[in-house]
Amino acid sequence: MTQTASAYPTFMERLTGRRAPVRTSRDVVVLHGVTKRYPNGRVALRDVDLVVPEGDFVFLVGPSGAGKSTLMRLLIRDELASKGHVVVDGNDLGRLRRRDVPRIRRKIGVVFQDFKLLPRKTVRENVGFALEVTGTKRALVGPAVDRVLALVGLTAQADQLPTQLSGGEQQRTAIARALVHDPRLIIADEPTGNLDPVISWELIQLLLRINELGVTILMATHDAEVVTSLRKRVVALEDGRVIRDETGATYHQAD
Amino acid sequence: MFAFIGFSLRRAWQGFWRNALMSLAATLTMVLMLLLLAGFFVLQNVLVASLSFVEQKVEVVAYVQNTATADQVDALVKHIGAMPEVASVTFVSREEALAKFRAMQTAQGRGDVTATLDTNPLYASLNVKLRSPGDLDTVTNALDGSPIVRNVLNIQALVERVTTVTTVIRNAGAVILGIVGLIVLFIVVNTIRLAVLARAEEIEIMRLVGASDAFIRWPFIFEGGLVGLLGALIAIGILAAAAQPASAAMAGFFNVLPLELGPVGRDTAALVLGTGLGLGVAGSWLSVRTYLIR
Ligand SMILES: Nc1ncnc2c1ncn2[C@@H]1O[C@H](COP(=O)(O)OP(=O)(O)OP(=O)(O)O)[C@@H](O)[C@H]1O
Ligand SMILES: [Mg+2]
Repeated sequence: MTQTASAYPTFMERLTGRRAPVRTSRDVVVLHGVTKRYPNGRVALRDVDLVVPEGDFVFLVGPSGAGKSTLMRLLIRDELASKGHVVVDGNDLGRLRRRDVPRIRRKIGVVFQDFKLLPRKTVRENVGFALEVTGTKRALVGPAVDRVLALVGLTAQADQLPTQLSGGEQQRTAIARALVHDPRLIIADEPTGNLDPVISWELIQLLLRINELGVTILMATHDAEVVTSLRKRVVALEDGRVIRDETGATYHQAD
Repeated sequence: MFAFIGFSLRRAWQGFWRNALMSLAATLTMVLMLLLLAGFFVLQNVLVASLSFVEQKVEVVAYVQNTATADQVDALVKHIGAMPEVASVTFVSREEALAKFRAMQTAQGRGDVTATLDTNPLYASLNVKLRSPGDLDTVTNALDGSPIVRNVLNIQALVERVTTVTTVIRNAGAVILGIVGLIVLFIVVNTIRLAVLARAEEIEIMRLVGASDAFIRWPFIFEGGLVGLLGALIAIGILAAAAQPASAAMAGFFNVLPLELGPVGRDTAALVLGTGLGLGVAGSWLSVRTYLIR
């Protein structure tokens, strides 16, 4: 399952206790002077610098259209930067060969507001899908899926279809799928956008727990209450620029 | 590698049945289009056979000098018969020519005018059938060059008229077959594109979780191949069932023309199978490609 034998323990290794957590000074994400101009001329990011060390929990905030989703699309190389460098886990995405892109994407788990689950597959199949389509041996899929389902608390719902789940359970399925590749980084674009406040809190708790296991988390959100009460690192975008980057910060700029 | 092929085949099979309605619609479209194509293909074959039957009526007649010896005639028949442009050569002796003439006169209800003659006024002739009317000049010149040939009947104008007509009809048939082929191509590829479009979400998720292009592409190609193969087999089954009554009807209709259709059945089956499989595979390859560009 692990594609590269890294000197650093992965979250799965920490979870299974095979290696003790180690603090590293490695940067999982580095953006340097990144500008993104879409083909229609619209500039979504302007000269953005951002460094996210391994193990960080970062909230990405800002008004609608500020460029949060664009930044995330750059990280999974769904889009390429027009200018500057995007480096994920030591790989400059601008210089990456096309056939190496899937390898990078397996290091990143993505979670979206709309879950993106396959409606005709059960929870177990949806999570296992991520392993099957990346060529994992069939015998290894089952145990890996069971482990992440236990982590997100969906063991009992494993054989249900997404339509038979609550919104929170659907999003936890998506998180399990994001985790099953043992990623270094989880990117969550407004993961609580479709959930009510109580369920949102449960989901945030889950993400915090995953973060404690060593997975770096970058989460875009409009939820001021969550951001303010957690006092994590906050990166604020406005009109494509980083206007604030503080640790232990609140949703709104302190006066 | 085997694991990958196994994976792709399994996913293709699952994909086919998970979207059973879509897959069956695509297969049905495939069957109808292949039947259309096969129908026009058979018609085109009948047309071509009819035209070459007409063209084979073109016969070069060379009259032979009365002084020619049997050996000379034999040599000429051999020489002309060996030419690649020549389909067959028959020698009609003076006596046979007279007999034919008499038979024709009797058939037309006239009296036998030749009875009053004391010598046979007709010449012996070589009747040469051509493989293609375009070779008329070559064969005429070859006959003209022989010392024992008295003259060659000039049928240039007639042949030109016949070939003009047959060429036009033949080309029209080929163009129509080509147009039908394009329509079939367009409809089948579009149907497969729709079937792939219905799975856009699945493809997007595969990309997001880091599936390589091959893992995304090949299950769809196998699935397209499955639709093509299944469609082709059904179409061939229908054609085989229809072939017997159809050819009986055709024989009744065309019995005036002893057409040589050759192995049309085999050719049609090969065409249907090749087109079905080819379009299924190429169609899904093209359709998935649009998602893999990025
Ligand atoms: N594919 C695209 N083509 C052209 N312009 C785009 C595209 N995607 C986004 N944009 C533009 O880029 C800007 C940034 O969009 P983005 O989706 O990154 O904002 P956001 O911060 O995620 O907003 P929201 O909070 O509403 O999700 C917007 O002005 C948007 O219109
Ligand atoms: Mg967004």
